[in-house]
Amino acid sequence: MTRTGSTDRAHAAALLGLPGMTPVRLARVLDGFGPVLAWSAVRAGTHPADPERRFAAAARTTDPHEVAARYAAADVAVLVPGGAGYPAALEGDPGAPAVLTCLGDPSVLEARPVVAVVGTRSATPYGATVASGLGRALARAGVVVVSGLARGIDAAAHAGALAAGPAAAPPVAVVGTGADVPYPSANRDLWARVAAAGALLSEAALGTPARPRVFPARNRIIAALSDVVVVVESHHSGGSLYTAEAAARRGIPVCAVPGSVLSRASTGTNELLVDGCTPVRDADDVLAAVDLARQGKGMAGPLRVATARVTAGTGGGAPPGDRVQRSVWEAVDDTPTTVETVLLRTDLSLAALTAAGQELVEAGMLVAGAGWWSRT
Amino acid sequence: MIASIPSAVLLGVDGIPVSVEVHVANGLPGMTMVGLPDTAVRESRDRVRAALVSSGLPWPRRRVTVNLAPGGMRKAGSGLDLPVAIGLLVASGVLAAEAVEGYGFVGELGLDGTIRSVPGTLALVDALADRRVVVADAGLAEARLATGTCRSAPSLAELVARCTGRRPWVDPPELGEAVGPSGPEASGTVPDLSDVLGQPIARRALELAAAGGHHLLLVGPPGAGKTLLAERLPGLLPDLDPSVSREVTRIHSVAGADRPTSGLVRRPPFRAPHHGVSSVALVGGGNAALRPGEIGLAHGGVLFLDELGEFPTAVLDALRQPLEDGVVRVSRARGSVVQPARFLLVAAMNPCPCGDGGIPGSCRCAPAARARYARRLSGPLLDRFDLAVRVDRPQVSDLVAAVPGEATTVVAARVASARTMAAARGVACNALLASGSLDDAAPLDGAARTLLERHLRSGALSARGLHRVRRLARTVADLDGAGPSVGAAHVSEALFLRGSRALVLGEEVR
Repeated sequence: MTRTGSTDRAHAAALLGLPGMTPVRLARVLDGFGPVLAWSAVRAGTHPADPERRFAAAARTTDPHEVAARYAAADVAVLVPGGAGYPAALEGDPGAPAVLTCLGDPSVLEARPVVAVVGTRSATPYGATVASGLGRALARAGVVVVSGLARGIDAAAHAGALAAGPAAAPPVAVVGTGADVPYPSANRDLWARVAAAGALLSEAALGTPARPRVFPARNRIIAALSDVVVVVESHHSGGSLYTAEAAARRGIPVCAVPGSVLSRASTGTNELLVDGCTPVRDADDVLAAVDLARQGKGMAGPLRVATARVTAGTGGGAPPGDRVQRSVWEAVDDTPTTVETVLLRTDLSLAALTAAGQELVEAGMLVAGAGWWSRT
Repeated sequence: MIASIPSAVLLGVDGIPVSVEVHVANGLPGMTMVGLPDTAVRESRDRVRAALVSSGLPWPRRRVTVNLAPGGMRKAGSGLDLPVAIGLLVASGVLAAEAVEGYGFVGELGLDGTIRSVPGTLALVDALADRRVVVADAGLAEARLATGTCRSAPSLAELVARCTGRRPWVDPPELGEAVGPSGPEASGTVPDLSDVLGQPIARRALELAAAGGHHLLLVGPPGAGKTLLAERLPGLLPDLDPSVSREVTRIHSVAGADRPTSGLVRRPPFRAPHHGVSSVALVGGGNAALRPGEIGLAHGGVLFLDELGEFPTAVLDALRQPLEDGVVRVSRARGSVVQPARFLLVAAMNPCPCGDGGIPGSCRCAPAARARYARRLSGPLLDRFDLAVRVDRPQVSDLVAAVPGEATTVVAARVASARTMAAARGVACNALLASGSLDDAAPLDGAARTLLERHLRSGALSARGLHRVRRLARTVADLDGAGPSVGAAHVSEALFLRGSRALVLGEEVR
């Protein structure tokens, strides 16, 4: 039994913030030592995991209590294994972070099923629609939706989970930067809303900027927290495949949303399906997979099944009444279709075509991009 | 003895009159040249001496001083060889001063005494409008485009003979109507639009660019035919009108660019500098003559920038002022010149580093790489493009069916009629309509007004963008023969074709 007083947390945070500290080094430094003991050994230069004494000089100029005060001021909690708030799913995990920082309430992860919804940063309208639909329906069904707060699919999944309302299960984000460094800046607003409604976890010290290596590393935490991992869209060798791989190594089921075989954004997910992952079309499919996974672990019985099936393409509804608009709508695919293709299919003048397309976009039946349209 | 011979040097695209004063006096034999000559002018001493000796004329064995007045301006170019030689002959008494009274001289000398033509003959002769100007035989066709009268001679010996009246001036053949045919078919080398298969939107944008003078940005993957399209644009433009034609000829002559043997450039030029171009090469400047750059050479025609994303940002931003004002001001410590530069800008670029981007789900680039690529173009520059269209690789069916597209002549006829309508509004093309005159020239009907209002309210359109869209919609309506007022369909086509920022910057799907 480890003592987990505020002194321990202060020293753990101070170790985390030492320049050059990585999750792997931190785990070695804390392995077999309590934070206080590890700190004094590092400071004295006698720690066996730091024979080169690379941290000694920095440690001598750092006051752990001052570090703890900074975390308290930013309202960021420091979680250590065995201590309060540290996610139970990570205890005993081979890649568990030795120290986690948390903005929000980490206890939302306990006693609830957890599903990771991840995918590519350059999502198509199809992928974004599916991700936000899944996020909303899963949160309504009482499932904590975990994702990485990146652009594209991650952001759509978080936004969907938040849209499910305050009564639904809160979302959780695992980010690569410091908990006080919103990245990408376009997601600043979403960042704050996730932290306010649920929790935002990071294994980086406060103020850590975005670095390429941290994002694949945090994906293992997303996988380890989840009962099921759902990949919505992924390029061939995309970053979300790390999450799938980390989940597979832990025996956590990986589901994938099928996509067009012509879309590069679905190459990775379609490959996952070929490799034997479970295909999911909507939240019900995911919930079935969650049930199976939890029964396998000897957990509670079947979940409440979500009432509304979330499927792509339902937003558009019936085709429009106007003849010209109808012919335009029929010429546009569910995937992005260049306006030139539509022009060739409809035989309209460009002026008539753009006018009809404009009206369909305003009616919410088409999504317009730069030189392309897609059905909603 | 002293002689003063009128000549001219180039500054920018204008000739500046220069008086070549030659003084021959007793003293050690030698020749000094003062009045800020640059290297080419200084070297004329050796050319003149060789030319005089080869022509059987005496070289004075006395002290020679040549002054180029006004003394404060730096003189560049080799056109001062001939006036220096004539001045020497007059000052040393070989030629009577009366024999060259009323003449000006412009020409380079060969070592054997032949007279060679120099760049910018038209501008130089223009500067000496009150005199009969003697030029090289080869430069006569061009010199005749100037307002003054001119004469020519093949060599220095022949020129001396003609000046002294020993031989008659040979009247050069009258050019008259022999200025060559006009119209797009005149320039046989211009490729035809019928080579472009399919690609209806890009063709439409090309036609609108030619008809309304709207700058055009083509965005598409490699091999989509962006260059193919751009090269066909000059063929769609009407012949240059006479005053522009003269300006263009002058600029091309000054820069020593290729031009028709008849002398006058009547077809719009097409300039396509490589993306390694320097600011000076693009804008002009460089030597003492501040010679025109690529944008000057594109005056009246098309400036094509292929791989726009690869041009250095500073070079691209140098385009902004000329695009706005139609002139380029080249300033150096020694002076500044204003050169005409009203051109149609056509640019081509890939949507992202991998080339296939722009459509979600088809690009391999990381979002950050795409954003970095897009950041190279400044917003104000993108704003100048009224037309920004996506060019995709042609559809396989179009390539296989190989039905030729509309020919250049057919499209050029529509362009010409649209330009006639613009001329009735008092401008050369709709892109030049003043924003204050838009309500008269391009009145909006009710639906069109509502549509634009919605776009303004949603923030998708700025005030400057509004004027640009209205001008473009005017051209769309003109090409469709829609009559005086602009409808909602024209406006929505204009809005679609303008999608520049979104096309280059891509957008996030949320």
